[in-house]
Amino acid sequence: MLAPLSWLKEYVDITLPEKELGDRLTEVGLGTEKITKDNDDVIFKFEITPNRPDLLSIIGIAREIAAIEGKKIKFPEVYDIEKYIVKKTLPLKITTDSKINPRFTGIIIDGITVRESPKWLKERLIKIGQRPINNIVDITNYVMLELGNPIHAFDYDKIKGAVMKVHQTKGGEKFTSVDGISYRLPKNAVVISDNEEIIDLCGIKGGENTGTYEKTKTIFIRVPVEVPSLIRRASLSLGLRSEASSIFERGVNAGGTVDALLRCIKFILEIAGGEIVSDIYDIKKEEFNPWKLDLNLERLKNILGISIVENKVLKILEDLSLPPKKILKDTIRTEIPTYRNDLKIEEDIIEEVARVYGYNNFPKTIPSGQIPLKPPPYFKDYRLEEKVKNIFKSAGFSEIYTYSLVSEKDLTDNEINPDKTLRVDNPISREFEYLRPTLKINLLKALFQNKPNFEKINLFELGKVYLGRTLDEVKEEYRLCAVSNLKNFYEMKGILENLFGELNIDEDPSRYIEIINEGIVFELSYSDLLSKIKSDKIYKPIPKYPPIIEDLTISVSEKIPTKEIIDAITRQSPLIENVSFKNMYKDNRTFHLVYQNKEGNLTTKEVAKIREKIIEALKQKFKAAIA
Amino acid sequence: MEEELIQIKNSAVSLILEIKDQKELEELKIRFLGRGGRLTLAIKEIPKLPLEKRPNIGRLANEVKKSIEDTISSQEYTLSETKTKKIREEIDRTEPGIKPNVGHLHPLSQVLYDVVDVFKSLGFQAADGPQVETDYYNFEALNIPKDHPARDTQQTFYLDTRNSKVEPGEIILRTQTSAMQVRIMEKTKPPVRVIIPGKNFRYEQVDASHGFEFWHCEGFLVDTNVKLTDLFGTLDYVLRKLMGENTKLKFATTNFPFVEPGVDTYIQCTVCKGKARLPNGQGCSFCQMSGWSEIMPAGMIHPNVLKTAGYDPKKVSGFAFAIGLSRLVTLRYQMDDLRLLTNPDLRILEQF
Repeated sequence: MLAPLSWLKEYVDITLPEKELGDRLTEVGLGTEKITKDNDDVIFKFEITPNRPDLLSIIGIAREIAAIEGKKIKFPEVYDIEKYIVKKTLPLKITTDSKINPRFTGIIIDGITVRESPKWLKERLIKIGQRPINNIVDITNYVMLELGNPIHAFDYDKIKGAVMKVHQTKGGEKFTSVDGISYRLPKNAVVISDNEEIIDLCGIKGGENTGTYEKTKTIFIRVPVEVPSLIRRASLSLGLRSEASSIFERGVNAGGTVDALLRCIKFILEIAGGEIVSDIYDIKKEEFNPWKLDLNLERLKNILGISIVENKVLKILEDLSLPPKKILKDTIRTEIPTYRNDLKIEEDIIEEVARVYGYNNFPKTIPSGQIPLKPPPYFKDYRLEEKVKNIFKSAGFSEIYTYSLVSEKDLTDNEINPDKTLRVDNPISREFEYLRPTLKINLLKALFQNKPNFEKINLFELGKVYLGRTLDEVKEEYRLCAVSNLKNFYEMKGILENLFGELNIDEDPSRYIEIINEGIVFELSYSDLLSKIKSDKIYKPIPKYPPIIEDLTISVSEKIPTKEIIDAITRQSPLIENVSFKNMYKDNRTFHLVYQNKEGNLTTKEVAKIREKIIEALKQKFKAAIA
Repeated sequence: MEEELIQIKNSAVSLILEIKDQKELEELKIRFLGRGGRLTLAIKEIPKLPLEKRPNIGRLANEVKKSIEDTISSQEYTLSETKTKKIREEIDRTEPGIKPNVGHLHPLSQVLYDVVDVFKSLGFQAADGPQVETDYYNFEALNIPKDHPARDTQQTFYLDTRNSKVEPGEIILRTQTSAMQVRIMEKTKPPVRVIIPGKNFRYEQVDASHGFEFWHCEGFLVDTNVKLTDLFGTLDYVLRKLMGENTKLKFATTNFPFVEPGVDTYIQCTVCKGKARLPNGQGCSFCQMSGWSEIMPAGMIHPNVLKTAGYDPKKVSGFAFAIGLSRLVTLRYQMDDLRLLTNPDLRILEQF
């Protein structure tokens, strides 16, 4: 939203310098994005939050400035209809429904001259990025920007049968907007039809068939209140946004239609001439009066954490044009103008007081109260995660973070069926369409990406994968995945053994490791890993008696897995404390044996007996011989 | 016998004192003290002596053995001293070291663990939740019904519902970690202090400061008597702890439907130090020349959200906030493009 300083000054005295004004407006919630000089004027660019449709108008912004400056607002002059007596009338039959069109305000003006707007009007519109069209259209736009109520002028003579029917579409109807673009309308859009066709897409765009052009002599001006959700749905499904629709979908000032109409009439009669030829139509079911909200001073203090003196609170509310009245010892009743749809509950008033008081004037406190002892629901142990990552870091692996969304090609390259992978309906591009079911995809791509610059590449990622063939089976899982063109199988296995050891998990990690052309990769479920962690480690006393240690070399077929041999050896006696594989040469394999008796000294005789048993067992089982 | 022992001693000591290296010393050790060494053989003769001579000779033999051993160990010390001295002299301290092959933790992780640590000191524990989320937890439970215009600020990825029982539009990729607020509150009673770091998704065209995937760290606290000043104090403590004690902050009003009052937090730009221009005169692109960076939207939890979660807004209150984690990382390391965080180029990663 653009706002020229010169225009704002018509409604409020501004004393703050521009930069300070911008900073202060940002603090109260009117985000000042840019302040630019424009000849002898200054243009403010504001970011308007969705809750404040009133700030999509110059008067709304002026009101915020008035609140900051502690000044009163000057409401612009409107046409004094009370004094006017209608001389001749033109007919118009309106049928509407308050459920889809809560308020319908309008008037007919005859004998106007459509031409170029006067210089001042064109200049103002250009300053805030609007293209001048003709005096009638420009006036309706000007008053909308000034007061925040969208206005549309119809060519009265083109309304067939002098009939306006507000209704909802069935879907599929054709409509051409004033700017000459044709649409097929969605179901339930609110439109106005005359006796023959749709002439207005309510709250979004007027129709080409009843627009105001050079030959137009008589106009009907409509200032409506529309239903936000209906406008929003139609506008979204058409992909059609207008200034009017963004005001209506946020909630227009329902009490402001008549004022906007009168302001509009004033300009039309002055600039385009003509005379009023109808009473004011104002079709509505409710009165749209201001509503009341109570502010409890004790609650104000409890929520804000500071006590603001009562007079200051009253002054702030006064400056915000929320007339306050003290009704009880600690209760202030405020009256909420109809343009402040965002103020619905007491907390909203508390924010009003707080923001004008100034967030940066608040003291800072640290929450008192109890610190929860138990882990929260959905607890995640980040210390453990850091520990796991550090194991890979110290093994030479660098961590990467990659996108969760991957392409169809990524999947097929990895022999994954895209039809059985979760997919986004509205991807930003084909490149990011599917939710990754494995981390491998991105790690392999990362490996290739680094190849031109690095010979040795070790990368890992700890991140989520998204499993399930359809949405009924969605399962998110954390995975740990690493890729290396440097490590061999045993090195990779060793790293995982280290990790499992740290986590006290008794499992052979071999099955997670895969040998590929580019090197070696592993992927495992980190979520599963967490569930396998055994409770804390318990100290075992160091042995009182010395162990007997020896190496045993056997000659055995290469096909027999080392693990089986180790298990077979271990089974032979409880006095065998540990067996580890040392090395392999041709069909000779050497094992490192530790014999230990916790109760007393081991004798060489005892060990010799066990050794014989081992040799016999290996001979029987694997046809092994002592080398 | 006596003479023989003394002779052994004298010859051993003088030979040991003359050795030039460890090898010679080892040879002498074996020659005198080894299994077939001269002293060992001599000692073996002792039992053959007449009984009354044995104690004295035995004592003497022990003395001889000890003095040989002492000489050996003193020579060993001298030898290693000489060796060390030589190493000390020969070393070139200007030559680069040999580094062990150690990898790097991603800058996002490093900042994330800092964030977790800082909050831990305030009694906040971490939680984690689904990224494939329902419209309910992501929007509706947070006071953002279906047709709410605030949805425009969070363009959403919808998941393909084909072959499933899910209604189109009901399952999305979460746009905000705030989706975890009601999930957590539903399952526990106040007091609650929790942070939820995690990835979010928004339908946005990618540029230097926008990504369709980005990281936030949500946090909220619910208890009896939680005040706006507590929120200000918490944000101030956390950000200055993370970004440096002298970091300048300012607060502004903003609107999110799930907080009231709503707060936006800005930190002074860490790149231009709030000057909006760089020393070379160019405008600072980090803060879009404003001198400030929006980093942490926050506010007092809206009574409707507390109600939805089954809490009584008359009895408890709370605050919530979301740190732009990706943004925090780029600000801390002065990275001028958010996309650097998802680029697996080792030339980037090795800097951290």
